[in-house]
Amino acid sequence: MEFDWSVVVDATPALLGGARLTILITLAGLVGGLAVGFIAGLMRAYGNALLNAVAFTYVELVRGTPIVVQVMFIYFALPVLADIRVNPMTAAITAIIVNAGAYIAEIVRGSFLSVHKGLREAGLALGLPTWKVLFYIVGPVAFRRMIPPLGNQFIVSLKDTSLFIVIGVGELTRQGQEIMAANFRAVEIWSAVAILYLIMTGTLTLILRATEKRMRML
Amino acid sequence: MSLVEFRKVTKTFDTVVVLKEVDLAIDAGEVVVLIGPSGSGKSTLLRCINALEQINGGDLVVDGISVKAGSSKIRLIRQEAGMVFQQFNLFPQMTALENVAFGPRRVRGASRREATEQAEALLAKVGLADRGHHYPAELSGGQQQRVAIARALAVKPKLMLFDEPTSALDPELRHEVLRVMQALAEEGMTMIVVTHEMAFARKVGTRLIFMEDGKIAVDGEPADLLAKAENPRLREFLQHVN
Ligand SMILES: Nc1ncnc2c1ncn2[C@@H]1O[C@H](COP(=O)(O)OP(=O)(O)O)[C@@H](O)[C@H]1O
Ligand SMILES: [Mg+2]
Repeated sequence: MEFDWSVVVDATPALLGGARLTILITLAGLVGGLAVGFIAGLMRAYGNALLNAVAFTYVELVRGTPIVVQVMFIYFALPVLADIRVNPMTAAITAIIVNAGAYIAEIVRGSFLSVHKGLREAGLALGLPTWKVLFYIVGPVAFRRMIPPLGNQFIVSLKDTSLFIVIGVGELTRQGQEIMAANFRAVEIWSAVAILYLIMTGTLTLILRATEKRMRML
Repeated sequence: MSLVEFRKVTKTFDTVVVLKEVDLAIDAGEVVVLIGPSGSGKSTLLRCINALEQINGGDLVVDGISVKAGSSKIRLIRQEAGMVFQQFNLFPQMTALENVAFGPRRVRGASRREATEQAEALLAKVGLADRGHHYPAELSGGQQQRVAIARALAVKPKLMLFDEPTSALDPELRHEVLRVMQALAEEGMTMIVVTHEMAFARKVGTRLIFMEDGKIAVDGEPADLLAKAENPRLREFLQHVN
């Protein structure tokens, strides 16, 4: 067989459109996931028994089920249960928020708890309220330790968006699938799709490396 | 009224009773040196004063405020009672200067400029004027502990609590920390110091307390006690630390 570059050239606009959606879902999902993850992680680390139980249940529900099932639930089951219409994009972004949020919660919890308790005590001993100690003292140290595992989660979430093919979101994998169904050029199309994913994850890796370098690890 | 007053204070961890109905009054200006075997409750006694540990029985009043009065009152107590830890516990993401300026800025609400000026003056006082822009990891243990003392002083406390401030240091670095503490005592600061530095107790201390098994076993003049201790266990203890 011969690699037909014209197939790639013809498919490029549609694939780039798909990649755009992939980036959009990932970005929106991770912004939300970070917010949810920080709240749930801090509830786990410092909340009372009730807050801790709520966050724990959320994390376990998400970690114990596949992301495909989660997005199917949001897209097909929620409308039945709660009578709300969900479009595929909203379902996709929500799925990343909910899914990444749970994993990020564990990262946040672990890194806050990994900070030597003497720092917390030194902050409290100055007469600060606990939230200020977490915000000004423990948080900045914990944040530096979060960067490597967070980077890992960002890459996982980016690739997870390909699973949203099951609800018909026109992200990169879905675009590849549709073009392939029309021209049967599997080698050219899936090579191009793979390379676009590599470019996106590679860019993420570079950004994370640079961030890690700029911050002194503590 | 005394600056610190323990009234039948009991502290337990789970089922272990660590402080047993301790009565103790400390007046402004005293330099109390607290000694005793490991596990006798010295750190716990100190940490009850600034409510890092919660007492289980009795009452403990610091500068007129009870440690049982709730979290906003506890913060006031902590602002009056600075603490220096065995492991320094400097904030690693901040320079020495930022560590010292942190209290004035975030606790006392000073402006950045005011806080920095105060911090510079305090660093000069502990002999580290030229180290302000170094991070804790770039300082020796003795320098870190002096920064930690300056950080506690920056909140302008009435009382300083020291928990084995020189125990984590190499012998040749201890004297620089002890000198700073002595200067502080000579200025009239009220201090409670857990330490095994008997020379410091003799020279600087105004009162020596020997703790044993959660109780105050001996309480007296450092010079007297170090010259002739009546209590046989204190005598034995002194032989081991000297
Ligand atoms: N956080 C804690 N939890 C359980 N037990 C503790 C805790 N802190 C101290 N203890 C116990 O309390 C006793 C007194 O400890 P401490 O006050 O640290 O003694 P010291 O400072 O005189 O060596 C010890 O038996 C110690 O094991
Ligand atoms: Mg101790």
